[in-house]
This record gives sequence, structure tokens and C-alpha cells, in this order.
Amino acid sequence: MRRQGLLWLNAICSLFPATLLASAIVEGRVELPKSHSAPVQAKRYEIVTKGGVLSTQPPLAVVYLDGVFPLPAPLPVKEVAQKDLTFVPAILPIQLGTKVEFPNLDDAYHNIFSYSPAKRFDLGRYRPDERPIPTQVFDKPGLVILRCDIHEHMRGLILVLNTPYFVMTDTNGHFRLNGLPAGHYTLKAWIDSRTTREKPVELKSGQTLHVDFP
Amino acid sequence: MKLHTFSLCLFACTACAFDVDDFLDQLDSTLTLSAFHDNFRARLSGTLDLEIYNFEQPAPGLIDSNIDTLFNPRLTLFLDAQIGSQIYFFAQSRLDRGFDPSDHGAQVRLDEYALRVTPWEDGRLTVQIGKFATVVGNWVPRHLSWENPFINAPLIYENVTSIQDKSAPVSPLYFIYGPYYYEKYAFNPVIWGPSYASGISVSGQLGKFDYAVEMKNASLSSRPESWTVTENGFDNPTFSSRFGFRPNQAWNLGLSASEGPYFRREAESTLPPGRDIDDYREFVLGQDASFAWRHLQVWAEFYEARFEVPHVGNADTFAYYVEAKYKFTPQLFGALRWNQQLFGTVSDGYGHNVQWSRDLGRIDIAATYRFTPHAQVKLQYDFQHETTGEGEDNHLVAAQFTIRF
Repeated sequence: MRRQGLLWLNAICSLFPATLLASAIVEGRVELPKSHSAPVQAKRYEIVTKGGVLSTQPPLAVVYLDGVFPLPAPLPVKEVAQKDLTFVPAILPIQLGTKVEFPNLDDAYHNIFSYSPAKRFDLGRYRPDERPIPTQVFDKPGLVILRCDIHEHMRGLILVLNTPYFVMTDTNGHFRLNGLPAGHYTLKAWIDSRTTREKPVELKSGQTLHVDFP
Repeated sequence: MKLHTFSLCLFACTACAFDVDDFLDQLDSTLTLSAFHDNFRARLSGTLDLEIYNFEQPAPGLIDSNIDTLFNPRLTLFLDAQIGSQIYFFAQSRLDRGFDPSDHGAQVRLDEYALRVTPWEDGRLTVQIGKFATVVGNWVPRHLSWENPFINAPLIYENVTSIQDKSAPVSPLYFIYGPYYYEKYAFNPVIWGPSYASGISVSGQLGKFDYAVEMKNASLSSRPESWTVTENGFDNPTFSSRFGFRPNQAWNLGLSASEGPYFRREAESTLPPGRDIDDYREFVLGQDASFAWRHLQVWAEFYEARFEVPHVGNADTFAYYVEAKYKFTPQLFGALRWNQQLFGTVSDGYGHNVQWSRDLGRIDIAATYRFTPHAQVKLQYDFQHETTGEGEDNHLVAAQFTIRF
């Protein structure tokens, strides 16, 4: 009976990758900048105007482990929607090589474009019901600023990272990165286009490290 | 060699522009304010335009200059404010050398200011009061330098005709052969640019249909000085409207109409005895269509206009344009526009019917390169040809550099 139990345990453990079994955790807090000002929509020459106001996106940070990691298996497709004249989510961290879909969930045209050196593209105008949904593959690391050629106030960010280990903070700046491999790395906190903080970290299997970015 | 130099300049501008771009993004955040738990929001923005025109005399359109090469800088500031979810206010102020390109001295104007109330979120009703662009047609939403694929306006919005609003023509012959080329600013186009006249509008959307009706203090052809409420009251208002149909996001079709007296107060003494300015009106009927899909945008407007002219009768004109814009790359787009204006005939007083102005056609070609989301350069060439009369040609070359913040 005892021998049978050990066999079961062995079988279950073999289903988990070694990195998870021997993984480290980093948690902590990033000091976030003051809240952004609420956006204002320019409606000067719109004959038809709808009421309501644009939603305000609180500032968030992206925490990631910088280093050299093996290339991943095929990456899941991510999404940045255009909804209520804003990008949702306002910031999306992705791994290098990720494909991102840009569905239009409004009943108006949008025209997403980026002139960022990390990815230059212009999707043109497309209807909400058009299929396939326009996509882009992000194959160069860096910050991609998304804008809309029709709605000047719309701004979104895609942070293309050369690491599979990243997480967004919550609105209070708290974060928790799971499943990290042991070793010496640099932990970075991207706060905005001008500010990225970093700290060297030594990760040990099964250990939880606390790191704050003041 | 020249191509290499041009490429290097373009690359240097682009590299430099990206540094400036980040600064302008930060400036945008600084100039956006909110208070009272975001129930009050305001944003100050603007454009800086540097324009150079080279043309033959007489200067085409509404350009008011006796020299062939004209430098026209312009600083435009916008204020957009949202109070709660139902009240919106905007204003536009300009520092330039005149509302239309000219070689005059600098002036500062408050071109637009309006308060808009939208009681329901679905947009079924919007009421706006102030000094603002006309609801007629589909050119207004792209008339500013950043949105306009061209540097100038379509022919109908800037071609000066024999119509004058400061005094009545003394005879049919004066009306037909009047020296309007040499005193251009005394005469009027059918629609003067975006027509920022003062008044009130009511607009809204009902399903796939939309409507807009406005009462303004000046007619569509009236000059910028007539648009201010202190200069021109509401004794002789102009009523305009547009009814639109949007079968889907790609198409937008509209019918417009406008009717109102076009003479200014100082013309009263020149009118025939017993008549006043209310007796001479401008009527405009318009049809517009636009289509957009992916990187292509197409617009067209067709206008039939009638002016009631003292001593002459009805002077009719028909004008249209078709305009297309295509984005070749994310940063480079080109535009092509064909404009034509045809004039009817009036009696010359000696038993002959004569065209009251010369028919003309104009082709506009433009290319825009956007260095960044905040900076662009535009080049344009126009060829204008009179298809009746002496058949005069005019060439215009223009360049415009714009920084948006």
C-alpha cells in the first residue's frame, strides 16, 4: 500500500516541469507615479456627439526578470481591444514574438498605428464585424506606443520583453512573480517610458524573495 | 546626390523628431488637467504651421497677396473642456497673418468658442451655442492642418466669385465684368472656408440617421469679419441643416441646405430703393458622400448655389469635388482632388445672356510625411484652368510643416 502511494506521487511529480518544482518567487512593491490626468475627448467637429466621459486608467508598472532564457513554445495570442474610445488594456506586457489581435468593440471606426522603432505599423480603418481581426506580431523588444488616427486622445502601450518572466503590478504597486528559475539575474520595474528601475537578485529554489522599488 | 542629401535630411529630421516627440507627449500630459474627481477635465493643445506658397498672379483662391511667394506662419491653440458627462466646451484661437493666407501683419483671433450640452448619453440630442463651424457638408471635420490631406480648401470653399457682400453691383455689366481680380477681398466664394459664424445648433443621431440644424448670424458666403456676434447680430439670420445616413461605418451620406441674406449692413445704401438686405439671399443645396476602408478614404461634395443679386436677378453656380487619400506606409500618404465650378448665365441688360463668372477646374495633388505623431510635412501642387473666358491657367506649389502638441 505504501509502495503504491509512492508510485502515485512519483507519477504526479513527473507531470510538473522541473523549473516549477524548483522555482523561486519574487514579490514586492513598486512606487507608482501619481495618477494620470483624466483624458479629454476633442469633439469639436462631430455633428453627432454622445454623452459620457472617458474612463481614467490608473498608472501600473511591469516587473520582469531580465536574463537569457530558452526560447518558448508557441506563444498564446494576446489582445488589445478598442472599447469606449480607449485601449483595453491600457498597457500590455508581452513576450518577444507574441501575436496581438486588435478587435474593434466600438460602433465607430478606429485607426490604430504606431511609429515606435520597436514596431511601426498602421492597421487602417476596419469595422467591428470584420474578420479576421487585424493582428501584428511583435518581433523586436521595446516599447510600442499605440495611437488612433481618428481619436487623438487614445493612447495604449505594448511592452515587448525578451523574457517569459513578467507580471503587471496592481494599482497599489504590488506584484508577485512565480515560477522563476534559480540563479543570478536583474529584476526590472518598468514604470513609464522614461523610468525603468532595476535591482540584481539571486534566486534560490523554493525561496521567496522580497524586493521593493521605491 | 540630391536624393542622398534629401534622404539624409529626412533621416536626421526623423531621429530628431523622436526626441521632440517624447517631450510633446509629456507636454500633453502637463496641459491636461482634471479636478472635482475628474468631473471637470480640460486640455490645452495646438498646432504650429509654417507654410510657403508660390503662385502666379492673380493669387488663387482666398490667398490675399500681391507677391508671388508667401510665407504664412500660424499658431493655433485649442481648449477642450468636459464638465460632467453632459457639458462640453471648446475654443480655438489663432495667431497668424490673417484668417486666409496673406502678407498682412500678425493678428490674434478667437475663431471658435462654443458650449455644447448633450442631455442623453445615446446622442439623440445635442444643443450647441457659440461661434463654430457650419454643419453643412463633410469638409469641416478635416479642415484643420493636421487632418486635411491638402494645404488649401476645396474650390467651392475658396474660389472668389463675382458676388460681393459690401456693396450691390451698380449694373449687370459691372457684376459680370467687375474688377474682382484686383480687389479680391471685396468679393466672396460660395462658402467661406469652414464658416465660423455665431449662432445655435441642434443635432443628434437616430439609429443610422443623423441630423443637424443651425441658426447663424451670417450666410455661408460671408467673410470672417461677419462671423462675430459683435459685428453682425441676428437681425437677418441664416438657417442651415444637414441630414445624414450611415448604412455602416464605411459610408456616410448627407444632404445639406442653407438659406439666408448675404449682404453686410454697409451694403444697405447701395441697394435699390425700397429694398433691404433681407431681400437678397444665398441658397445652397449640397450632397456629400464619404467612404473609408483600411488605408483608403474618399470624399465628395456637390453644391448648387443661387445668389439673388440686385439689378441682375438670380446668379446660379454648381461646384463639386472628389477627393481621395491613400496611406502608402504608416508615415506616408498621398491625396488627389479634382474640383470644378460651373457658372450659370445672367442677363447683361442688353438682351444677352452671359456667364456671370468663368468656369474653372482644378486638380490638387499632395503628399504628407509624418515624422512622428506630432510632426508632419506636406507638399502640394495645384493646376487651375479656366474652361471658359480667356482660359487662364494658374499653378500653385505649397509646402506646410506642422507640429501638433
